[in-house]
Amino acid sequence: MASNKLLKFSSSPHVKAKRTTRHIMIDVCIALLPAVIMGIVYFGWRAAALIAISVASSILSEGVYLLICKKTVKEIIHQFDFTSCVTGLLIALSIGSQTPLYVPVLASIFAIVVVKMLFGGTGKNLVNPAVTGRVFAFISFTSVMASGWLAPSISSIAGGWATSISPTTGATILTEKLSGAVTSFSIWDMLLGTGMAGCIGETCKLALIVGAIYLAVRRVINIIYPAIYIAVTGVVAVILQSVTKGQLDLYSFFPAVLSGGLFLGAFFMATDYTTSPNTTVGNIVYFALLGILTAVLRWATGIEVVSFVILLGNLLVPLIDKFIVNKPFGYVKVKKVKEKKNG
Amino acid sequence: MKTNFKKIALDGVITSNPTLKLVLGTCPTLALTTAAMNGLGMGAAVTFVLICSNMLISLLRKVIPNQVRIPAFVLIIATFVTITRLALDYFLPDIYESLGIYLPLIVVNCIILARAESFASKNGVIASAADGLFMGIGFTLALTLMGAVRELLGSASIFGIQLWDASKFSIGFFGSAAGAFFTYGVFIALFSLCSSLFKNRKKAKSYKLLKNAELCLETASTDDNKKDGE
Repeated sequence: MASNKLLKFSSSPHVKAKRTTRHIMIDVCIALLPAVIMGIVYFGWRAAALIAISVASSILSEGVYLLICKKTVKEIIHQFDFTSCVTGLLIALSIGSQTPLYVPVLASIFAIVVVKMLFGGTGKNLVNPAVTGRVFAFISFTSVMASGWLAPSISSIAGGWATSISPTTGATILTEKLSGAVTSFSIWDMLLGTGMAGCIGETCKLALIVGAIYLAVRRVINIIYPAIYIAVTGVVAVILQSVTKGQLDLYSFFPAVLSGGLFLGAFFMATDYTTSPNTTVGNIVYFALLGILTAVLRWATGIEVVSFVILLGNLLVPLIDKFIVNKPFGYVKVKKVKEKKNG
Repeated sequence: MKTNFKKIALDGVITSNPTLKLVLGTCPTLALTTAAMNGLGMGAAVTFVLICSNMLISLLRKVIPNQVRIPAFVLIIATFVTITRLALDYFLPDIYESLGIYLPLIVVNCIILARAESFASKNGVIASAADGLFMGIGFTLALTLMGAVRELLGSASIFGIQLWDASKFSIGFFGSAAGAFFTYGVFIALFSLCSSLFKNRKKAKSYKLLKNAELCLETASTDDNKKDGE
């Protein structure tokens, strides 16, 4: 028996890590937990209900799709890999707590069935399901999603459902900034999200940063790439603000970076393996491009564009992968010989 | 020559439905299906032009030289499109307004040109008219159904009748261009599914397993047929 084990014959790769898609996705779920907890603390039980409904409908729609594809329940449980769980979480975290309960359900169904399963399931999707689900919800239910943002209050958790909160509805800080109103929030306020209106998961940046550091430590994501995205967005925003105002406006770096959905998008949505380039240079180009687009389009349109920009970027990934390729091992670059033709 | 009207009808509405099977005339399909009424209006206009142009082209098919047939077809189609435009503008100005640029663009609609090229220029007048009618019906049905679905989901109404308050629940996605592509794709998929199911059902019917006694009779009768044949 022992000799049989020695005679194992297989093609490469011969050494494999124990990590599977399921492990990675569970790590992402854990990394999102701080944001989930802060969302529930800030926005009360309604946020918890939205998150639960979104995750449940994501998992259910994947299960139902597989059942229609004539898979058995045992197979479905065996191949369940928490990607739909992550999708549901991200959709719930990127909508406001005032959103009606059917919105995350429809967004999740669209994200899972149309964007992921119809293209062949995990790892075969062309664009990020969560981003597309959010964009679908945003363009479908514009009236209920883009207005009436609730500002978080710590006491809301005790008050039960959202009806008992005294909501300070209005524009988010990003909309205020873009429309030229004076922002009265300190950097610390923006980082913690206290008093700021916004989406469930995007309000507390600190929780997102904690989650991102966890992912970086677990080596699920490379923290450099989202950092490039965020830095480029801030720098381009500073340049644009300075040009429009006619004077150097370094302070506009912070509201540009710390408001809106930039952190959630940069750390958790743009870093999706399936929809980001394969090479290092490709990734740098991709994330820098996202940063430039985000800053420029925010400035030009006056609305939050992170999800739209990531969707656009996802579609550019095949192009980036086509033009930026690694030198294969053992090959040398062939120099272009122009002189020969002339001579 | 006897014309097979049943085949023409089936071809036009189902087996080679211009919108869902041949994927012709996609531009008006995507742009005008925001409302069921638009789809119906466009379908009716295209049907009228199809019937008339098919008939005229069929009449002239031996006169038109082969080298200049496409310009000749376009000229004939343009004539009827102009008639339709002027008539619609006078009698139904609302529909004329909502169809907009897509009404004059019927001239370059591939369904009409394709039917002129592949059917009317080879068949008789009555067959061509029937072909135009049923192709038009197929186009109209597809457009009206798509328009109904998109109008229902996108603006909570059907044929302009408000069913519930659109501000309370409506999926704006279906009113947008992206929703048009999505709905079109889903329709093509469902149509293919239905037609394949229909085909399979037919096959299953024709090969029904026979019971013992029936089998004996069947073999006996086929033997008889063989002898008769011989």
